[in-house]
Amino acid sequence: MSRSGRLTLVILGSALAATLLLTGSPASPNAPAQDEAKTAWDGSRAVPVHLIPLHDENDEPIIPTETNPLPFSARFTCGPCHDYDTVGGGFHFSSMTGRAEGRPAQPWIWLEPRTGTVLPVSYRPWPRTYSPTDLGLTAWDFTLLFGRHFPGGGPAEPPEEEVLSDPDGRWNVSGRAEVNCLACHNKSGRQDHGEWAKQVLRENLRWAATAAGGIGEVGGMASRLWPTWDIYDGPNLDDHEWAVAPYVKYRTEDFDSKHRYFFDLDYQPSDGRCLACHSVSPAGEVRWEAQADVHSAAGLGCADCHRNGLDHDILRGYEGEAAVKNDRTVDAFTCRGCHLGEDAKGRPDVEPGRLGAPRPKHTGIPLVHFKRLSCTVCHSGSLPKGGFTRVRTSRANRLGIYGVATWATDMPAVYEPVYMKDANHKIAPHRLVWPAFWAKRDGSELKPLKPEEVEAAAAGILGPDERIGAVLIALTQVMEEEETPVLVSGGSVFGPHIDGGIEILEPFDETGGDPPFWGLRKGTEIVPLVPDFDPAAEDKDTDVETRFQEFLQALATVTEAPGAPAIQVRKTLYRLVSGYLDISEAPEEYGEATRPGWLADGKLVPLAADLDVRTVTALAGGERTLTEEQVGLVLAALAEGSDGTEFAYVSGGRVFRLAKSGALLSEKHEAAEPVTWALAHNVRPAQQSLGWNGCADCHSAGSDFFFSKLEGTGPLLTTDTAERSSTSFMRLGGSFQRLFGLTFIVRPLLKTVLIVCAVVVGSLVFLAGVLALGRLAGLLEKR
Amino acid sequence: MLFTIITVLAVAGTFLALAFHRFWTGLDKDRTNLVYAALLGGFGNWLIRRSKESARKASVRAWWAYVKALPLWRLPVLEKWLFICFYGSFLYLGASGLFFAVFVPRGLYGLPLIGHVLAGGIFAVCLTLVVIFKSRDFTSIPEPLELSLRLFDPKRLGMTPARAKHAAFWLFVLAGFLLTLSSLLPMMPLLRTPGQKLMFELHRTSALASVVAAMVYVGMELFERSRALDHGRRTAQ
Repeated sequence: MSRSGRLTLVILGSALAATLLLTGSPASPNAPAQDEAKTAWDGSRAVPVHLIPLHDENDEPIIPTETNPLPFSARFTCGPCHDYDTVGGGFHFSSMTGRAEGRPAQPWIWLEPRTGTVLPVSYRPWPRTYSPTDLGLTAWDFTLLFGRHFPGGGPAEPPEEEVLSDPDGRWNVSGRAEVNCLACHNKSGRQDHGEWAKQVLRENLRWAATAAGGIGEVGGMASRLWPTWDIYDGPNLDDHEWAVAPYVKYRTEDFDSKHRYFFDLDYQPSDGRCLACHSVSPAGEVRWEAQADVHSAAGLGCADCHRNGLDHDILRGYEGEAAVKNDRTVDAFTCRGCHLGEDAKGRPDVEPGRLGAPRPKHTGIPLVHFKRLSCTVCHSGSLPKGGFTRVRTSRANRLGIYGVATWATDMPAVYEPVYMKDANHKIAPHRLVWPAFWAKRDGSELKPLKPEEVEAAAAGILGPDERIGAVLIALTQVMEEEETPVLVSGGSVFGPHIDGGIEILEPFDETGGDPPFWGLRKGTEIVPLVPDFDPAAEDKDTDVETRFQEFLQALATVTEAPGAPAIQVRKTLYRLVSGYLDISEAPEEYGEATRPGWLADGKLVPLAADLDVRTVTALAGGERTLTEEQVGLVLAALAEGSDGTEFAYVSGGRVFRLAKSGALLSEKHEAAEPVTWALAHNVRPAQQSLGWNGCADCHSAGSDFFFSKLEGTGPLLTTDTAERSSTSFMRLGGSFQRLFGLTFIVRPLLKTVLIVCAVVVGSLVFLAGVLALGRLAGLLEKR
Repeated sequence: MLFTIITVLAVAGTFLALAFHRFWTGLDKDRTNLVYAALLGGFGNWLIRRSKESARKASVRAWWAYVKALPLWRLPVLEKWLFICFYGSFLYLGASGLFFAVFVPRGLYGLPLIGHVLAGGIFAVCLTLVVIFKSRDFTSIPEPLELSLRLFDPKRLGMTPARAKHAAFWLFVLAGFLLTLSSLLPMMPLLRTPGQKLMFELHRTSALASVVAAMVYVGMELFERSRALDHGRRTAQ
């Protein structure tokens, strides 16, 4: 070999040795082993004690007794043993990826009563939902709207590019709400979902898990801090009352001497944790009457069936999920899998009886029911007895958040059971919400407007209760004991509401309140705010003028009033001039009247606009928030500020638009159709299943199952709503089902006839067979 | 799918068997010396020729004339209406049942299903009456069996066309009984899901058996009738 050849060999050999040395360094084999240790189960069913050091978002250990400690971070506290990024890809945290991920579930409902908005929203491309991105909702907006029922992560912990692209987001003040492991796994009774919701709405996102988990007490509100505040700025030394920077005081008694905190955790989340966000109850039901799911009653927990690995890809348990997840073992966790040992196609290749699931008898149920119906039709949700049941769900109606304020809402109206065909072409019960929103037309499409866009165009039209409430609340300042200022109109008495706006105090004499008047309620008596008297009379009550001055001073505090307050009594005008009561003769054009009002444009205009009074009177006692008159005015206002764009309002299954004549027209439109999602719980006991009492549970001429009617509901007070029958949701012929139902009247006769025929024919066939057999055997002689 | 294949094969097989019976009965040659290939060739040619002839003669008017000439219309009034209902309900049951079973994956549903149930009731009643009043005409008393190797020789079983008709009748009655039973039991609160599945299978299997039996019976009956007519015509000439 030449010298150059030997040199080349040496160089190549050295390079190879170096490569082997580097790739085979002792650290490398250990790294995967550590990862495996994180994910692999050693086989023990015991739950390890979680006495662990807390780490903050900078991965610094938390010393609970130090000054201004930071809130704990799940990423760095739980992450060392449970890979945070793997967990963060789970179903509850991955909505922003926009993957459909199987059967549509309940979307978020953007409820904004003032503008009459009930908009189904989802990052996942599910039918009849709107993408937050398309609506112009940033992750920040989405978190503030719905973060109350987030388990952290997802939109509450957006990627850096999302944060940077939203200059209005206050992420640097609030921090991000990391995946909150405690939201589900905390066994401690201190875990408080309501506290989570409050912290989210205070924009204390990075503190929310610490507060909700009961690990420490969190004070201050990031929402009140200036937008450039940073957690490293520390407390706001200039303000200890209002703009207090968020802080945490840890419960030091739960730490040991090594500053390790004891987490009372469970591998499987308890039902209470799931139900914080997944409760559904019939509206108006009292708690002691509420039924538990039959599985819960039997001692099973939600997570017994809805399982997951470290990836937190929760099993949802619907038929067809195995195909979506490409994992046939998933079939074992559907109703069919557990109870019948069948997969979604009815193949008996699943091990049944998991968790002691009994095999149903289904005695007398014809096979066609199992081909055409999902198990949940007969077994889940509310019975269709008497029609559809209005229910309230945690996420749609903000349930489970307790405090001084009333958090739960009646709207949106969620109905069940709506029987519809699912992706497997089987009828399954669904829940339903009718959307309501303002929109602009783009061709045949309706593109929703954000509520603030509508508000901007419709000032003075929407929110009449707030304007009237402002007057009443202002007057409250000068009320005597047991006196309440009220507006009486159309048989209702409106008083000020503690949270602003108005509330109906009681029904009024139906003949009263027309025309409307402002009054004072003392006990059960209501007297006019401005009594009618002769100001020129010598024996007039001198206290009246004192009260007038108080009223006028109180009304002067109303912001956004059209002018200065004044009171007219016959031809005398009372007003404030330089803080003193000025009594003068009312201008001729004011006429002779007794009323309070605002001096504006040389007139005395009413304290509340006629439109406002008409609107609150019309809406009194109901849950609607808009009148047709308001819709017409808002549509006109929207059109006025646009370049010929057509606007519309969707409510109750109809689309409303303005005709050229100015009249309000309604029409059908795809966008007005309801959004639906399949329901699975509560599962009722067998005796409450459909069919338990016989075929007539569903098959009769007037069956609730087939012939219930559902009227479109929405914020608009109108008689012009869509109406759908159960059969139309099922896409079945109503006439046929009625005819088929009628056949069940004669079915007992048919059965009787068939029994007689079967007995007679069977006997004769048997006899003929016996005779033939006897002859063949030679036992019977030939005739 | 399996049932669809079995149905198609059974119906086609019965049709071909009946056609072969006609061909075989009308064969003028010495049948004992025929080789299978020649036999099959002859049968094929005969089938094509008959099909062409039938197609040429077929018309609505010809069919109507054929139906009007059926002895059914000349029966006494009660008997006539019994058989009209019997044949009519069975025709509808067979047609709707087999059509949906073979061509519609979803199976029988909708208005045809309601019609099927109603026709089923009529059929059951008519079958009962037919069995009570007519089955005596279909009792052929067999000779007592003798234990010998002749039991295994089909040629010595003595299967005549008349006996085939009798067998078809009793097969039809048995299938009708099972059809009635398998319609009735699923409607009663007796059977669980496996029982319901068994009844479903029993119902469609019995239905197929009843169709095959009916084809055999009617095929034989019509062939005898046409032969008798031909014989009458020849005698008259």
